[in-house]
Amino acid sequence: MTRSILFSLLAGLFLFFSCDDPVDPNNNNNGNTDTPKIVGTLEIEFRVPGSYLPPNRVLRADLSIAKTAEELYKGHFLDVANVYNSKLVYQFELAPGTYYYQAGIVCVAKGDSCSAAGFPGEVGGSKWAIGNAIIKEKETTRIIPQFR
Amino acid sequence: MPASVVFLRGFLVPPTEKAGCVTVLVFLMFEVDSVKKTILTGIQALFFIATIQSCSTDFDINSDNLDTPIVYCILNTADSFQYLRLQKTYLIDQAALEFPPHPDSMVFPGEVVVSLERWQNNEVKETIRFNPTTEIQKDTGFFPTDKHLLYKASARILPKQLYRLYIYLGSKEKVLYAETTTLGSLTVVDPMPLPIRKISLYEGANYTCRWQPVEKAGVYQVVVRFKYLETLGGVTSEKTLIWPQGFSNPGSNIEYLSKDVSGARFMHVLEESLVSKAGIERLAVGLDFQILSGGVELKYYVESTAPSEGALMEKPVYSNVTNGIGLFSSMAEVNISNLFLSSVTLDSMAYGRYTRGLGFLDHTGDRDSTNELKY
Repeated sequence: MTRSILFSLLAGLFLFFSCDDPVDPNNNNNGNTDTPKIVGTLEIEFRVPGSYLPPNRVLRADLSIAKTAEELYKGHFLDVANVYNSKLVYQFELAPGTYYYQAGIVCVAKGDSCSAAGFPGEVGGSKWAIGNAIIKEKETTRIIPQFR
Repeated sequence: MPASVVFLRGFLVPPTEKAGCVTVLVFLMFEVDSVKKTILTGIQALFFIATIQSCSTDFDINSDNLDTPIVYCILNTADSFQYLRLQKTYLIDQAALEFPPHPDSMVFPGEVVVSLERWQNNEVKETIRFNPTTEIQKDTGFFPTDKHLLYKASARILPKQLYRLYIYLGSKEKVLYAETTTLGSLTVVDPMPLPIRKISLYEGANYTCRWQPVEKAGVYQVVVRFKYLETLGGVTSEKTLIWPQGFSNPGSNIEYLSKDVSGARFMHVLEESLVSKAGIERLAVGLDFQILSGGVELKYYVESTAPSEGALMEKPVYSNVTNGIGLFSSMAEVNISNLFLSSVTLDSMAYGRYTRGLGFLDHTGDRDSTNELKY
């Protein structure tokens, strides 16, 4: 009986001293945690309008975002997406607010096909769609640029 | 009186410094009359002294130089000239890592004939001769840079053809042989040669190169060339920073292959490669992309020369040259030149945390601090 009491006492002491202080998982780096940025998502479905031109003669050329219309006009962009023929949807993580975008398409058909299809000039003529979007916290705003 | 054998005795001289030198002395002694015995003892002594005196403590740490031919030739379907490098192993009587060899010790003297044959349906359709040239300057380094002998042929290489290489070495009366099947054509999807499409490469913005798989290809590589103007002390010079990406392996049954070029890594590469100096001004001009595909032989060679992993620390370097060592393979390449960086990329280079000290101008062409990025 005495032995079992002694054993329990030793085991209890061992467990007591072997335990570390509890760790606060929310305060483990002395308060240096970066606060997560509050952002929303601007999702642009960049459709290339159909025309009578053969496929791959009208291509995505540019997709840029600016904070104001003036900065968009001056080319002071917040973000410029790498656009590809094979990618339709482009996403931008932005702080809540109003943003302006420009989307450009370019015609690469030969001869006077581009001007006949409504593009200014010949090869390399481009069209632009400009608009704005309101970004809300943790929400996705979806835009489809319209080319005329 | 017939001589009878009394005993047979052998001395085995243990190998000292001379590796593999084992001298066996066999002495036969015959039981004869006392006079003959004395003569034989004298002869025995002479043999022993002569043997001891003839042993040398010098030894060669090198085996004989075999003048092994070393051949490198990568046929390029995108080029109208083909080059071949032929050298040989060499041996010098001094510390090899301290003194470079003489240029003549790395090339074969005498007659060298290099010819290439294109085969189709078991017939030779074309024979191409290579001629010696020294028109390409060798890169600086340990080995001698003068008299950089190469062999050059003016020839268009056709895709998906069997090519056989023959090299006759007159000094060794030996023919080297190798063969390869050239690659199919390489079609790049992204980037397109569209200057209106600006490239964004900064922290958080990567660029994806895409291309169609090439028949017979074993390895791919994307090389980015960043071109810029550098002005220092009123002198402006054109500069190019070559940034090769890692190798890509071909996938199976996929429509496109791709390689992501990291924007964050691009900024780090600029920081690591360019020197920051007071008064220096740099203007980014643009990017060129080079997409390369190499044959399976090139893939095996790259794998065999890559750092070892695991317990196998030393592995043989791949070679497909008969009667020599080296590599004979083919490649295809596509260059997309004169693409421009986006305004955001230019501003990141001018004011970003890694490159702000390198003197890059922003997208407006100045270094106005009001344009500084807020990180």
